[in-house]
Amino acid sequence: MNTPLTRPVLESRAIRVAESALDREAAIHRCADVLEEIGAVDPSYREAMLDREWAMSTHLGEGIAIPHGLDVSRRLVRRDALAVLRFPGGVEWDGGRVYVCIAIAARGNGHVALLSALASILLDPDRARALREATDPAAIVSMLNSIEDGS
Amino acid sequence: MIRTVRVGSAAGLHARAAALVAAAAAGQRVPVTVCRGGRAPVPADSVLGLLTLGAVCGVELTLEASGAGAADALANVADLLSRDLDAARG
Repeated sequence: MNTPLTRPVLESRAIRVAESALDREAAIHRCADVLEEIGAVDPSYREAMLDREWAMSTHLGEGIAIPHGLDVSRRLVRRDALAVLRFPGGVEWDGGRVYVCIAIAARGNGHVALLSALASILLDPDRARALREATDPAAIVSMLNSIEDGS
Repeated sequence: MIRTVRVGSAAGLHARAAALVAAAAAGQRVPVTVCRGGRAPVPADSVLGLLTLGAVCGVELTLEASGAGAADALANVADLLSRDLDAARG
């Protein structure tokens, strides 16, 4: 039951700090674009991300959303990976406003550990602001990769 | 009043599952807290709080509530946590 948790990997080439999107759907498409570009997912993962988003918003609060596929779309994930897209102008998101998307491609339970680490950041207003405002890919990588597993 | 429950969702207490549990907890008559191991308890109606638990399938969680309606609140929240919330969606 307690399978080893492998956290999806974030590389600096999967970070975009100056994105813009007209709406939530366009933002999800950009997230899927980047996951595809780094070879983490099959092209049809995009549809799974949109389906998941319409089923229930992935906005976690603090201006951060975590677009990802549904459980059934795991087979479309080639390797566990993250992409971070920053929208400095913000994107209207189901009544809220999102400034950073952390797109997740994960096959196993690993993203539960990632969500735990991310939630800890978001519950700390200073760290949440630092994540929202970070413009240096290296800083974003170290913020998200250096945290201890939540398991 | 305390009750323990094992996470039933095959994919663990991920974002959508946590949102469902938090919404149910918010609808109870009394606040419910959730604790994993010896860690600090988190409010069951907080999505972020639930996510910090990092609870994969089978992890045991301790729920606590007090006051009138506590037993019902614990039963309702425990019931959701013990279900496979991905399978339930169909």
